[in-house]
Amino acid sequence: MTTTLAGGRAARRQTMRRIRPRRSPAVPLLLAVWAGAAAVLWLWWHDTPSIADDTGRILGAGRITGLLAGYLMALVVLQMARVPALERRVGSDRVARWHAMSGRYTLCLVVAHVFLVMWGYARQAGRSLGDLVQQTADSVGQLPDMGKAAVGTGLFVVIGLTSIGPVRRRLPYDTWYHVHLLTYAAVFLTFWHQITTGNDFAVEPAARTFWYGLYGAVTALVVWYRVLAPIRLNLRHRMYVEAVIEETPGIVSVLIGGRRLHRMGAEAGQFFRWRFLAPGMRFSSHPYSLSAAPRPGMLRITVKAIGDHSARLRELAPGTKVWAEGPYGALTAQRRSRGKVLLVAGGVGITPMRALFETLPGAAGDITLLYRANTTRDLALWDELAAIAEERGARLMYAVNSPEGERPDISAENLRRKIPDIDRHDVFMCGPPGFAQSVYEALREAGVPARRIHHESFEM
Amino acid sequence: MRKSHPVRRVVLATAATVSGVVLLLSLKPASDPAAASAAGAAPQATAAGQESPQGGSRGAAPAGSGTVTGDAVRTRYGAVQVRLTVGNGRITKAEAVQAPTGGLSDQKTQLAVPKLNQEAVAAGTADIDAVSGATYTSEGYRKSLQSALDRMEQAPSGASGSSGAARARTVTGKAVRTQYGPVQVRITVTDGRITRAEAVQAPTGGLSDRKTQLAVPKLNQEAVAAGTADIDAVSGATYTSTGYRQSLQSALDQAGG
Repeated sequence: MTTTLAGGRAARRQTMRRIRPRRSPAVPLLLAVWAGAAAVLWLWWHDTPSIADDTGRILGAGRITGLLAGYLMALVVLQMARVPALERRVGSDRVARWHAMSGRYTLCLVVAHVFLVMWGYARQAGRSLGDLVQQTADSVGQLPDMGKAAVGTGLFVVIGLTSIGPVRRRLPYDTWYHVHLLTYAAVFLTFWHQITTGNDFAVEPAARTFWYGLYGAVTALVVWYRVLAPIRLNLRHRMYVEAVIEETPGIVSVLIGGRRLHRMGAEAGQFFRWRFLAPGMRFSSHPYSLSAAPRPGMLRITVKAIGDHSARLRELAPGTKVWAEGPYGALTAQRRSRGKVLLVAGGVGITPMRALFETLPGAAGDITLLYRANTTRDLALWDELAAIAEERGARLMYAVNSPEGERPDISAENLRRKIPDIDRHDVFMCGPPGFAQSVYEALREAGVPARRIHHESFEM
Repeated sequence: MRKSHPVRRVVLATAATVSGVVLLLSLKPASDPAAASAAGAAPQATAAGQESPQGGSRGAAPAGSGTVTGDAVRTRYGAVQVRLTVGNGRITKAEAVQAPTGGLSDQKTQLAVPKLNQEAVAAGTADIDAVSGATYTSEGYRKSLQSALDRMEQAPSGASGSSGAARARTVTGKAVRTQYGPVQVRITVTDGRITRAEAVQAPTGGLSDRKTQLAVPKLNQEAVAAGTADIDAVSGATYTSTGYRQSLQSALDQAGG
């Protein structure tokens, strides 16, 4: 528990000294990605002296889409390698959205590449567009590594189909996830035909080296951050379930014990992906935020029983072993740039806000928490929050539906009335998508600049 | 947390990708500038070289001394063609009548070609070292040199007298269309035997260039050795081999009839 700072200028100065906002590396990363894409296009440009006719143009388009797809494929995998710079600085939510977006785009490029190249080859062989299937079968049979590539492409299509919105919502999360893991196999299978039949890599040793380097680096990062780093983390800290506590109807806290848990480098506002080694739960891991700052022997998560998995948490026996990966998430004190902070929580979104409310440095009156729930009974962790507020001299507000079920009015006007200097605050927000969107708009209208509204959303 | 517009994003991404690809394709010239400039230097040879990757362009068959010109060999940076001056069956002078030009290639050509010429005269064979930094040109030079040397060896039989020449005739088979492009075989028949086989047409472009380079010389050898169209296919180049066999058969039919 942080010590409470008395009010006054000296305390304020001390607080500000501890605030060192770190910029998200998103912009330089995106620039690097574009530079790489330009290099890939240049490779094609350099290796193609001329294009004589339409067949050449079709093949050219096929090669460009293929090169770009091969390049983006590596990045799509990299985005899910759980690299700390991405997970903790850019933000897991944003990286996941990049992954979804670039994954869809890459799959479209793959399909275009297959179609264009086969069409081009068919024309070269004097066949019509109707013979495309025959042409594809011939090419797969004759060219090196094309059999593997065909299997890989088939996998990509299956993975893409299971990720389309309506399909994904109907599939159990675990099924979708395990199908998605096939991506690694698909990338491996499609890699070799790029090297052996790809025009640019077959003739240009430097390009081949670059490609091996790109895929090698991504493989190394995936192996390290997705496999070895979690193994090390769990061997070191050996976590287990200490107790399960029902906070309010439908919301439970899980206390997790282990060795030297304060040395995991977790900060308030971050989350881990948890896997509970209990029957029926060991094959899926789920992201849950820490609902209290880590202590030497204890971590706590607070979860709303909405899904299959979270409902089962209630029955966890003390002593159950826990496998965790993390910490991830960028919704931490690092984002802060101002002395004053408003935390906005909707429902179970209180968990990271509760941890931040406890640990964000600040003088009395600097920190405000606004907690939205359906009824006062649903205000999980309220007693703790009240205790923290009293100890720190922080402000705690809640907004619940009226007894008639009417929603509270969180508008720009109301916000300004309650917090007159709201436009000089940093705002941290966590809650369901609809709630977050409407609060975001109200905050913007109340004069809070977008760069000071910090929000994590796992909506795709 | 800006509002996302999925449809707008899809339309934008598609439009940007398609227009980018179309722009790149349309900026490419219709013919290779390097090859075009080489064609200016030796129009006939290059034209022939382009339509028949395995060398249809042949210099005048020399006697014991004279000049022999090798095939124009296309490299990534332009065509390379070697001319040898032969005296008493030995190479007395080697020169490149075509070599890559333009951009960096000028420098490389200036650097590499004199060395390669010296090496060729010294070695008397095509087994010469590549000049570092000019690997492609060296490779093309070696190939062209080899074809010139082949011609030197054939020269005695080709010019061994009017009676021999009368009996030697060339027959070109019909062009057989394969999946990757047409294949057409020309054979030289002397005294009823195939003394030389070559492909005047073979698949080009993309992977086919490599496959053609790999397969056609083997098929040529096989044809000469077998004397019939009953030759083995080169693995990895099944279509080209099949086309070659058919064209060879038609040439043999013509030669026989």
